[in-house]
Amino acid sequence: MNQIPAVDLRLREFMDANEGWGREAGRLTFQRLMSFVEQHPGALVFRVSLAGVRRVDISFASETIVQLARRYRGGKGFCFVDLIDIDQRENFEAAAQRAKQPLLLWNRQGKPEVLGVEPSQGIADALKFALIKPKARAAEYANSSENVSLTNASTKFKQLWEQGFLLRCEAAAPSGGVEYVYFSAK
Amino acid sequence: MTEAAVRLLSLLNQLDHATRRVIIDFEHNEDVLGYLNRIGFFEVLSPNVSVLPKRPTAAKVRHYRGRNPNLVEIQRIDRNHRDGDLPKRLTEAIGHACENRPDVVELEGAAWTILAELIDNVFAHSQTQLDGFAALQVYPNGNCLKVAVSDSGLGLLKTLRPALQNQAPKLAALRDIELLVEVFKQGLSRHGADRGCGLKGCADKAIKFGAELDVRLPQERVLLVSGNAGYTPNRAFCYSGLPLIWGTHLCFTFKLD
Repeated sequence: MNQIPAVDLRLREFMDANEGWGREAGRLTFQRLMSFVEQHPGALVFRVSLAGVRRVDISFASETIVQLARRYRGGKGFCFVDLIDIDQRENFEAAAQRAKQPLLLWNRQGKPEVLGVEPSQGIADALKFALIKPKARAAEYANSSENVSLTNASTKFKQLWEQGFLLRCEAAAPSGGVEYVYFSAK
Repeated sequence: MTEAAVRLLSLLNQLDHATRRVIIDFEHNEDVLGYLNRIGFFEVLSPNVSVLPKRPTAAKVRHYRGRNPNLVEIQRIDRNHRDGDLPKRLTEAIGHACENRPDVVELEGAAWTILAELIDNVFAHSQTQLDGFAALQVYPNGNCLKVAVSDSGLGLLKTLRPALQNQAPKLAALRDIELLVEVFKQGLSRHGADRGCGLKGCADKAIKFGAELDVRLPQERVLLVSGNAGYTPNRAFCYSGLPLIWGTHLCFTFKLD
């Protein structure tokens, strides 16, 4: 897979109003979002835009994008592409923190920021490595550092995938077998 | 005064709901009667409650309603007819009142979240047929504004404690004041560890803007003053053994500049 299949998701199109208020409205929006995601079975990444969304409270944030990311953790990834409003950012962060669900945010400079969960010290470096590359293999990470063995690199990437920081897919290994290729929601 | 009015209103409606005969006498307090009338108190007071010397008519209130930017008259929080604009209206009043603050835009965002969460909690958790209420008033001379949200449910801790017995027995053993601080600090919910971020988020935002939080529970009242470490038990003023008023009654006080 050369190109990661990604789909744009405009949250406002799934909301009844430009303000996302409360759990009930969040659950209703979540159902619509889930149906949208299911309509794109091939997509691995959903690029969430908040254009047209004036406000969201923490409960709404928790029931929508955070819940979606949690539900599809490991299989599909969700990232924010234009989350610039301070209050909305705080609310998505608070909701993600509570759900222990990391969410990626790409800032205006195209740099990634992780909302909600900080990776533990042991895997932070591996995440940093993976985030600057379109795709990362354990062998590449092991080669990049003297202190990281191939097994160690594989374990770290697997942890990042399990904890929802990264996605992965199978690919042919140069040796002829099958290996995992890791990538972020972008 | 705003929060006192909203709490009094909840109490009177609760007594009426409990089939008590209620008379409220303003014979020598006509000023208070006038103020309560202006903020829409009698429009939402149960019609069974007798008001002395005479229950004011609603015409005057309707005439002035919404005309004073320093006041958002008492708003009904009716779970059967959700008013989707309520947090917005209250937030606009806050923005107008605090327009001299350099951080007014951020404050508006935070205030909307706080109000949205608190009002949504009334819909979701208060477990009562009685309406909740919200009101806001600006006090230019006191350099502050107060926004009060009140419901007539069982009260925050009453619904939380039974769930904590299983989820977190150590927290369940805390005194009310300590537990209340933890509700706002950690975000505790009877629905488990995944929930409770709403009240914590409200408190975090209120702390950021130096707001005081006044919480009246059925028989206690706690005033939380934010310090460097946010809301802490040693900066909380607690009153216990108070007359019974069911529900959770919250009031945030923001400085105007």
